[in-house]
Amino acid sequence: MPDGVAIRAQDLQKQFRAVSAVRGVSFEVRAGEIFSLLGPNGAGKSTTIAMLSCLLQPTQGDASVCGHSIRQSPQRVKACLGVVPQDIALYLDLSARENLEFWGKMYGLRGATLRQRVAEVLAIIGLTERQKDKVGTFSGGMQRRVNIGAALLHRPDVIIMDEPTVGIDPQSRRHILDNVKELNRQGMTVLYTTHYMEEAQELSHQIAIMDQGKIIVCGTHAELIRLVGERTRLDLTLHSEDDALVACWRSIAGVHSLSADHGRLTLLVDDSNLVLPRLFETAAQVGVRITSVTIEEPNLEAVFLHLTGKALRDAL
Amino acid sequence: MKTLTIAAKDLKHIFQSGFSLVMMFGAPLLITGLLAFAFGGRTSGTDTFNLPVTRVQVVNLDQPAGADPGFAAGKLLVAVLQDPSLSDLLAVTLAADEASARTAVDEQRAGVAIIIPPDFTAAATSPDRGAAVVIYRDPTLTIGPGIVTDLVRHVIDGFSGAKIAGQVTAEGLSAAGAEADQALKDNIIRAYTAWLQSDEHGAEGAAVPRLAVVAPTGAAQPKSQGAAPIGPIMAGMLVFFVFFMGGNGAESIIREAEQGTLARLSSTPTPLAAMLGGKFIGVMVSLGLQVAVLLLASILLFGIQWGQAATVMLVSLGLIVASAGFGVMLMSLITSSRQTGPVLGGVMTLTGMLGGLFTTTIPNIPAGFDRVALLTPQGWALQGWKLALSGAGVGETLVPVVVMLVMGSAFLAVGVALFRRRFA
Ligand SMILES: Nc1ncnc2c1ncn2[C@@H]1O[C@H](COP(=O)(O)OP(=O)(O)OP(=O)(O)O)[C@@H](O)[C@H]1O
Ligand SMILES: [Mg+2]
Repeated sequence: MPDGVAIRAQDLQKQFRAVSAVRGVSFEVRAGEIFSLLGPNGAGKSTTIAMLSCLLQPTQGDASVCGHSIRQSPQRVKACLGVVPQDIALYLDLSARENLEFWGKMYGLRGATLRQRVAEVLAIIGLTERQKDKVGTFSGGMQRRVNIGAALLHRPDVIIMDEPTVGIDPQSRRHILDNVKELNRQGMTVLYTTHYMEEAQELSHQIAIMDQGKIIVCGTHAELIRLVGERTRLDLTLHSEDDALVACWRSIAGVHSLSADHGRLTLLVDDSNLVLPRLFETAAQVGVRITSVTIEEPNLEAVFLHLTGKALRDAL
Repeated sequence: MKTLTIAAKDLKHIFQSGFSLVMMFGAPLLITGLLAFAFGGRTSGTDTFNLPVTRVQVVNLDQPAGADPGFAAGKLLVAVLQDPSLSDLLAVTLAADEASARTAVDEQRAGVAIIIPPDFTAAATSPDRGAAVVIYRDPTLTIGPGIVTDLVRHVIDGFSGAKIAGQVTAEGLSAAGAEADQALKDNIIRAYTAWLQSDEHGAEGAAVPRLAVVAPTGAAQPKSQGAAPIGPIMAGMLVFFVFFMGGNGAESIIREAEQGTLARLSSTPTPLAAMLGGKFIGVMVSLGLQVAVLLLASILLFGIQWGQAATVMLVSLGLIVASAGFGVMLMSLITSSRQTGPVLGGVMTLTGMLGGLFTTTIPNIPAGFDRVALLTPQGWALQGWKLALSGAGVGETLVPVVVMLVMGSAFLAVGVALFRRRFA
């Protein structure tokens, strides 16, 4: 990949008649990175992805994937790319194995290579046991996993996943997130779209927040959080309130504010990892028990709220 | 390679579906069987339709008199009933008198007694006299006496026709200023009757469809002809259901567009041409299998002689290309798979009807109908099969086959162009 950039979007725009779905999107995904596009419904994530995977012609702008222009050499882009569509796109009347074999062939795999890759992918998505069952008989989560598997067969350099965890059980979701991390660890570049901030936060090296066809901010999780400058909030309950202890805590470095109300305390701190041990230490010295702790880290929700004036969850 | 993979996957889908199998093989064979049974087509060239023989007692009291004793209407009627072509159906015995004939029926030794009155010839030849043939029948029998009644009525109608012909000629002559004498009138009537008689006993003709109303066509026809209508019926069903499956197979394009697999195919390095090509090959192969199985099954089940092998192959090819092309075009005009059921059923039934696929049992269709039929690909396909059935060679079927190939290719071109515009 030239200059270590897997995907470079430059002013991508897409107009559907009256609807401006994507309005000038530019970003760079470095090779080996997990890059998330986070945004509410209708933000333009899928449309952006459709352009990157050469399914839609951009109204304006261009992009390169693995160094190939989506306008000039779509066939090369398609060959180096794995695309996991937002909706299940499989043959429900074929078995998991038959589906994988079919899609492998569509990526040009044949014979022993194909058989080996199908077996490997079945193991990755955890469906070796059920490979002979029709996909139509699978649970939503299992279908999602086959949907992902079909994009992995040809060992793409870059994989694009469009909301791969929508509407599934926690177990399948866990499985998929772990898969994504493992694939990335093995060197695959991942462009991941989601409207779950927890997923973006857990997976991504870089996060771009999208809204109304535009990227409103892009950076690492820490960078985005710093943008809002919020502190971690700690809620504690004490067995018995001790004025001396409260005074002591106020003086701990990194504690910005403390309010106490009948044994229930709320603290705003810089870094809970540094502050919390000190709190427990001092409480133990004066013999006060801390009976409950809640940590509220600043999150992308706050960033979204800060930048758009609306809550991410409300925008869904 | 990818093209074949796509074709194979589509074939698997088609042959895994119970609906497809029924529409491909079950329905055409079943409907042909039912229609053939209803219209009494014989099930093979050698088998005869199995009706019980009706025993008939005939009393011929007819006393031909007058100038020409050579012509006797009673004798003619007896001859018609005793004709060898009816021997499968009627066992005719001449009875001495009316009473003994009636007794035979009463005692169920005969199903029908026919009493020809003494003035039968006179009534048949003179314009202004009538006479009644009495048919005495066993009330427990239905079919046999029905056939006999019809036969007799038919012969009598022939005489009436002759009488009317005589009258009209006489009136025509007098209007022209000439006077027709009775002898001339008699001659005209006799000539007409003779013509009618020869028509009756010729190889085929006017008598057959009238008999067909109650009697099985096959049974009333001379054996040598063997053209029971089952061949054309099967041809009509073959064409209809192959066209139906052409549309049904092409529906997979719409279905894949809706289930997202078409977009997913586009995200792989597979050109659109390979995708559409694969689908077209899949449809063609499935239709080829359908035609082969239906031809084979109809030979085994109905004993249909489809004609010369080369002709059959050529007509099959034309049919397959025309129906695959028609199906692709039809589906390219549809936007959602919810429309495919009604559109497929409606368009196929309408064009099939215009193409004459459901009227193969009607023998003398008006010429205008045939011309309309040739506006549809189904009409040409049916014509091809009718030619094949009649034993035509390759040369004779070239016109319908070429028309089918051209129509099929044109439909396909339109369909592919529309699909390309939609998906590319
Ligand atoms: N084919 C189309 N024709 C017209 N409008 C479209 C089309 N596809 C998308 N849109 C519109 O473009 C906008 C962006 O849609 P898009 O699917 O890209 O959003 P998204 O971020 O993927 O949302 P979601 O989280 O719901 O998947 C929406 O307003 C949508 O209605
Ligand atoms: Mg989307």
